[in-house]
Amino acid sequence: MVMDLKEKTKTESIYVPDIATITEIKDLTPTEKQFKIKIDDPVKRKNFNFLPGQFVELTVFGIGEAPFSIPSSPNNKDYFELCVRSIGSVSAALHRMKAGDKVGIKGPLGKGYFPYEKMQGNNVVIVAGGLGMAPVRSILLQILEDRKSYKDVTLIYGCVDPQSMLYKDEIKKLQESKELDIKLTVDRPDNSWKGAVGVCTNLIPQLKYQPQDTYIIVCGPPVMYKFVIIELEEKKYKPENIFLSLERRMECGVGKCNHCHIGNKLVCVDGPVFSLWEIKNLKEAI
Amino acid sequence: MLYKILDKKDFKDFVNNLISAYEVTAPKKISQALHDFFPIKSYEEMDLSYKRTTLPPAKKMLFPSNEALASYTVGNNIEVKSLNESKEQLLFGVGAWDINGMNFLDRIFSTDFIDENYMEKRKKLKVIGIDAEPSDANFASSVGSEFAKEGFDLFLSDIGDKYFVRIGTAAGAEIASKFGDFLDASDVDYSAYDRQMDLYKNKFNVNVNLDNFFENFEIVYGKKDLWEKLAKSCFSCGSCNLVCPTCFCFNVRDDIKIDLAGGIKSRQWDSCMISNYGLVAGGHNFRPDEANRLKQRYRCKLKTFVEKFGQYSCVGCGRCVEACLAKINIYEDINAVKEEVSI
Ligand code: SF4
Ligand code: SF4
Ligand code: FES
Repeated sequence: MVMDLKEKTKTESIYVPDIATITEIKDLTPTEKQFKIKIDDPVKRKNFNFLPGQFVELTVFGIGEAPFSIPSSPNNKDYFELCVRSIGSVSAALHRMKAGDKVGIKGPLGKGYFPYEKMQGNNVVIVAGGLGMAPVRSILLQILEDRKSYKDVTLIYGCVDPQSMLYKDEIKKLQESKELDIKLTVDRPDNSWKGAVGVCTNLIPQLKYQPQDTYIIVCGPPVMYKFVIIELEEKKYKPENIFLSLERRMECGVGKCNHCHIGNKLVCVDGPVFSLWEIKNLKEAI
Repeated sequence: MLYKILDKKDFKDFVNNLISAYEVTAPKKISQALHDFFPIKSYEEMDLSYKRTTLPPAKKMLFPSNEALASYTVGNNIEVKSLNESKEQLLFGVGAWDINGMNFLDRIFSTDFIDENYMEKRKKLKVIGIDAEPSDANFASSVGSEFAKEGFDLFLSDIGDKYFVRIGTAAGAEIASKFGDFLDASDVDYSAYDRQMDLYKNKFNVNVNLDNFFENFEIVYGKKDLWEKLAKSCFSCGSCNLVCPTCFCFNVRDDIKIDLAGGIKSRQWDSCMISNYGLVAGGHNFRPDEANRLKQRYRCKLKTFVEKFGQYSCVGCGRCVEACLAKINIYEDINAVKEEVSI
């Protein structure tokens, strides 16, 4: 299922991106925009089959490249989406672009993805913090598109405040649909807030699922992991069934520059998704 | 492997023949205590009696400190072209540890994704090694890299009035037959080589014991005090990385060309000892302090690639020890780790 990296790069330089067009830009929050991206070459577009949790290296020509995980459904074959907060030179440049503009895309990248095949027939808990909602949205959508293959599904999503919540309308619709259990929490509520208050770690003790048939997905800012994992271990969820998407500085995205290493792993090729078991003894992973 | 003999009286002709056929890079004296590898035009420019060379030659030739990877036009019709400059070259007089360092880079740049920018240059590089004099800080024999098993076309060992020559590749055999007067090795030559190899191993002044280091390192990994002590004087200058034959970290950047009509994607060497190495967009730094960075550098050199490739990524050349103004010393620190565990 995962592409053969050597096969893919036999003929092309690993540093040359494919040309792609931004076909649509939408404001998700006051600070995040969603970009719909279509690879120009029809053959390459057709071959762009990604797995939930994988990412792309995006080049803004003349500015630089940076990694972005793909928040759209792997079942959309014609395009993919990115969710971008303007925090670096590449993302700031992206925020200034408009529909029709060209970018460079390398990917999909990463051998580590959310193992939806294994998760089928089990309960799934997705824990997302802040921007961490973007990487897990692809697996969430994939589950929803094949909902009957999974048992119960819970989404725990924590944000700083209600304004910074990503995919708000979508989440609202899902809450009404009852296809999954959604627990939202914010640090700083406003007057209309009806969900919980505090960090998403606080909501983990409420989980009712048993360890033997439950998979957990975690993605969020670096500080979140340690505390979430303490809570998950407290409830005896199995480390081999807990999957985390990790962030590190990336320069190349293709396992060469070494910037993304954690011990003997490279986040860009061995990850970005790892099971807790794989990284348990890697100091500094979480 | 083929074994041959080259008489020393034929050595100069051999080198000059190589120079007439190849761009030859060889050691040159640059100051009282220092040599470095540069292209040479005649035998006389070369000085094989070197001990220290500032930069590892193979890394310099195969993985330049600043390299263009792609160029493109900007605007509405963007076209990207890969850039990959390479040429036939010959590296002469390189020591076993530096060949082993190059073998390590070969592996890095051909694992998973293939880096054609490196591999094209590597394919076009001929390598002639020699039993070079180890410098005072060289501890190659402690990490098993005082001997090169592969990675060279020819390898010369001094056995008195002749060189004993190991021919490692078909290209090496061709070089030998085309450019020199190589004879078959006799039994006497073999035993002379055997003696020379024993003598050579004893030339390494520094011996460090890495037994159990793999586990010991794990035990002391969390000892903040130890790492703070070892890294106390580090300036985060990154010199240790720059001079290392196996350091390969780099940054990728895009720039607009002067004419504004296009841009260039390029890479530059980076250093894991510099403070922004682990800094991500948004401001979080995964390697915020000197102690953490030094510890991770040692992990990378002495543990990570034991797990990944079954070998140290330190070839013991001693350059980082010689380059460090703060006198931070990898083999002393290996001993410090041992001591910490034993008390
Ligand atoms: S260890 Fe020495 S050479 Fe390396 S960064 Fe620190 S001061 Fe510079
Ligand atoms: S870490 Fe130091 S001694 Fe080891 S290969 Fe690099 S420069 Fe040489
Ligand atoms: S980003 Fe370059 S090795 Fe992972």
